[in-house]
Amino acid sequence: MNGRTRPALALAAIITVLTGCANVPSGGRVVTGKPAERAERVDDPYVRLIPVKPRPEWGPDQIVTGFLAASASFDDDHRVAREYLGRQKDWRPGLRPSVTVLQSRLAPPQVVKTSGGQATVRIIGDQIGTISTDGQYTAAAKPYDGTFQLARTPQGLWRITDLPGEDDSGLLLSKDDVERAMRTVNLYFFGPDRRTLVPNGIFLPVVNRQTLPTQLVHALLAGPTSWLNGAVESAFPSGTRLRNGAVTIDKDVATVDLTGQARGGSVERMSAQLSWTLRQLSEIKQWRLRIDGETVAPEGMDAVQPVNAWAGNAPDGPDPQIHQDAYVVGTAGFLGTLENSRAQPVVNGAAGRLSRPAVAPDYQELAGLSANGGQVLVAAPVTGTPAARAILTAHAGARFTAPSWSRDGTLWVVESKADESWLWLRQRGKAPVRAAHWGLGGREVLAFRVARDGVRVAVIVRMEGRAQVQIGRIAHAQDGSLDVGSFLPVNSELQDAIDLAWRDYGTLAVLGRARRDSQSLPYLMPVSGSGIMSLGVGALGEPRTIAAAPGAPVLIGTRLSGRDQVCRQRQAGNSFSEWICPTPARDPGYPR
Amino acid sequence: MNARVDRARRLARRGLGAVRRVVRRASGRGYTRWRRSIQLRVVTSTLFISAIVVAILGVFLMQQVSSALMDGKVKAARLQLDEGLAQVQRDLGNTTSEDGVRLSNTVDRLKARSGPSGLYEVYIRDTTEPYFDGYATNELREESVPRRLRDELRQAPAGSRAYTYGKLSYIGPDRPSERGLIVGGRTGQFELYYLFPLDQEQRTLTNVGRSLAGVGVVLVLLLAAIASLVTRQVVIPVRLAAQGAQRLAAGRLEERMRVRGEDDLARLARSFNDMAANLQDKIGELEDLSQVQRQFVSDVSHELRTPLTTIRIAADMLYESRDTFHDPAVGRSAELLQSQLERFESLLADLLEISRHDAGAATLDAESLDMRDLVLRAVGDIQELAERKGSKVVLQLPGEPCMAEVDRRRVERIMRNLLVNAVEHGEGEDIVVSVAADRDAVAVAVRDHGVGLKPGEGQMVFDRFWRADPARARTTGGTGLGLSISREDAQLHGGWLQAWGEPGSGSQFRLSLPRVGGAELRGSPLPLVPPGAGDARPLFAELEAGE
Repeated sequence: MNGRTRPALALAAIITVLTGCANVPSGGRVVTGKPAERAERVDDPYVRLIPVKPRPEWGPDQIVTGFLAASASFDDDHRVAREYLGRQKDWRPGLRPSVTVLQSRLAPPQVVKTSGGQATVRIIGDQIGTISTDGQYTAAAKPYDGTFQLARTPQGLWRITDLPGEDDSGLLLSKDDVERAMRTVNLYFFGPDRRTLVPNGIFLPVVNRQTLPTQLVHALLAGPTSWLNGAVESAFPSGTRLRNGAVTIDKDVATVDLTGQARGGSVERMSAQLSWTLRQLSEIKQWRLRIDGETVAPEGMDAVQPVNAWAGNAPDGPDPQIHQDAYVVGTAGFLGTLENSRAQPVVNGAAGRLSRPAVAPDYQELAGLSANGGQVLVAAPVTGTPAARAILTAHAGARFTAPSWSRDGTLWVVESKADESWLWLRQRGKAPVRAAHWGLGGREVLAFRVARDGVRVAVIVRMEGRAQVQIGRIAHAQDGSLDVGSFLPVNSELQDAIDLAWRDYGTLAVLGRARRDSQSLPYLMPVSGSGIMSLGVGALGEPRTIAAAPGAPVLIGTRLSGRDQVCRQRQAGNSFSEWICPTPARDPGYPR
Repeated sequence: MNARVDRARRLARRGLGAVRRVVRRASGRGYTRWRRSIQLRVVTSTLFISAIVVAILGVFLMQQVSSALMDGKVKAARLQLDEGLAQVQRDLGNTTSEDGVRLSNTVDRLKARSGPSGLYEVYIRDTTEPYFDGYATNELREESVPRRLRDELRQAPAGSRAYTYGKLSYIGPDRPSERGLIVGGRTGQFELYYLFPLDQEQRTLTNVGRSLAGVGVVLVLLLAAIASLVTRQVVIPVRLAAQGAQRLAAGRLEERMRVRGEDDLARLARSFNDMAANLQDKIGELEDLSQVQRQFVSDVSHELRTPLTTIRIAADMLYESRDTFHDPAVGRSAELLQSQLERFESLLADLLEISRHDAGAATLDAESLDMRDLVLRAVGDIQELAERKGSKVVLQLPGEPCMAEVDRRRVERIMRNLLVNAVEHGEGEDIVVSVAADRDAVAVAVRDHGVGLKPGEGQMVFDRFWRADPARARTTGGTGLGLSISREDAQLHGGWLQAWGEPGSGSQFRLSLPRVGGAELRGSPLPLVPPGAGDARPLFAELEAGE
């Protein structure tokens, strides 16, 4: 072997080995991964409209149409839309614009008047609501009618000189534009118990995924929207702002740097609010809090906190995932816990035969209705054969909704007639009182449930002949009197609703009828207003009541071939699992 | 200021000069090593060639990988586009331009797999819609679709697809644009573009490239190491052989190479050893042969002596009574016999002398003498012969004595030989005899102005029985061995006997002897070429007597 063949052979051997390695594996061990959290993320993909610049040959009506289309694009601070405006017009909607939401794209604008260099263009449409600058959506359906003033520039181009409406920086967007360009995100504030966080959904334009964290924190620091104002409180002292104006993200660690005013607030409570707000962004896994450039750590935690910390402040309560048994009313006339599809009697006698029973979250008391719904009865303790005593009796022609406990032990119930309703509440050991301010006083209310955060309430209210799901909030007016109101529709996809329950802080379980359904079916309805999801498959008979709790199966009280049954899904947690109805009982409910 | 600049410049120049010197010295050393070491040459050329090969291979591999990656990407992208176009066709097949809602819904469906997963971005536009330019997903800017692709699609027949590479740019302050693959297709009035960022591919290529570079470097080094090892294995035996040959050449005939294994090198060693053995045998044989010859000459000389003595006595008698012969021719014959017998005797004596030298039997009988006396006596001896020839002997002797430890008989013989030769070939011109001495040596030079020596003859004059002109009449009875014996005598003293000559300019013989017997001679106090003789260029270099 001489000096020349040896290197050549070595080279050949190495190449052979290298090429031998370069193979796609055809076997091997199984690699597992964590399931992706498929909750709707704020930073999911989105679609942007690409605006066009005004063309020189366009007339006034075309300029207005182009402007309306371009104002749906938030790119570069509405740079393109501003080109439609006259030179002197200062119009900057910014990142928190006020928006007039119209049902659909407008009918073609009409040129009302053209005289020389001036023109007036009128647009007509159906307004369905408005979004204020704090991101709060308010439904306000009415016809829309606005006029644009246009003028010719010296170059002979039409430009808008005056916008309709008194709000000069407002946007006029269609429902589609809003759905495309804006996201509903939750800001978290503390409820009246100063421990439970309450989500406050707002509309935020998605301009750029990178600036979302900054936008979110800005919104959080700005405080709750008008809807929750007075019902919740923020741990951030007023005047607190972001230093340097941005949240910086390094890998998956975000840094929130607050101005010095934040020293006045509790680091723990501010951290809880920020953690819960930031966890909506998939790219942020951890974050650290700085005040005036100085890293601060909540007591007992690292400076870099995971966004999933602060479970104790969860809107569903500090222990949302612990196992709890559902209570059902057995056919033999007792109130029992549901264990392995069988009802185990707990309360016998008259108290066990109550309609729509609800056990208090602390298991000290139970409330229920008389068979016709005309009386509210309570009984204690929740064992043996306690005596049921009536605390409320309905007016003639009225009936009560199913009683609902809030976590502090307050019992809530709505007495409702076809065109009138009253909200009653009873704190433990006290007599029931009527809420001073009740936002649905003139409506028929079919269901009333207080959320686990104790601030939000979900109701089914009959409006314009349709039973709608709406969300309101419990606030205290200046004089300390109770104000339950500001009800907003959650979703318009359900035609009719029968009963509802809070599944978790972001989702309602609703029995209702969607557009194509012939009968009521269970649906999961996100509070954010996004689309409803049907739950389970299979026959359910005539469902009447629904019960839900975080981490627990959704239960449905139904009437199947003339008998009361409680149904659950064969596999809880799989939304396509079929319904089975193994338990002969009615009126299921979870205490918490 | 100026001075400082000047100084700085000077310093800089000096520094530069030093650097240049160092570099030159290093490169010179490197070049010397390069010329001397086969190993270095082989390693360097292996390094060089394998680096080129590896580089070519690397570029080729990179191109293969890159094109394979891109091919896969393009294929996947086109499938994706086809699916998207089918979706658009299904959703918007016969829509009118007013129906922007459905377009928006379609994009909503198309976007599902775009975005944070980083798979692709989508851009769709309705060519009939004047008021907005379609929809893009996420932060993608519409300028990311190059104009050339749009033009291509606009001119292409309906249903065609095209793709190109470009830069994807995004809205947002700190998002850099990145390279991407852009595929587009047209169905009806809609143009649909899928934009695939290629950063993942770029990363893969960078990684592969880095690994390849690393592997290439390691490979080249490995090859160089192998070459070094291999050449070492070859070069070491070759070096050993060279050393062996050197020692052999120096006369150490018993030198042998070590034979290991049975490979080519072992064969070389064996051949070398065979050669050395053969050489040793032959040289031994030759030595034996010349020994035999010398012995033969010596024996013959001795054996001839006894009859010669008898013949001599007879011849003497004949010579003394030559006048008594009647026939004058017989008398002349007796004279001739006498002279030839004398010649024969001196020849025999020379032969005996030289055979003694050859046999190594000659010994030095050294005594401290003044060279001037020796020279004077020798000149006195040939004065008569010189006069007969018409030559004058000029003596150049130093004032102080030139003492040296020499064998009187031998030096006298040398002097006589040189002087007789000078007279004989001196053509009647002057003969210059000069003596000189320095600290270590004494020298005698005998210069004649006769015919001189032809080039090459300066060496041959010392050969046995050599004659400058074979046809030349011989007036004196030279045996042809005189200079040979003289040289042997000089060498016995550790001295030199050298000749210089030029045709027409005469010749000069120089005897140089160390002052102390047995000391090594380094130089001579007299020049070999007489001053002013011909040109300065000697016809042959100084010949060391030892050679």
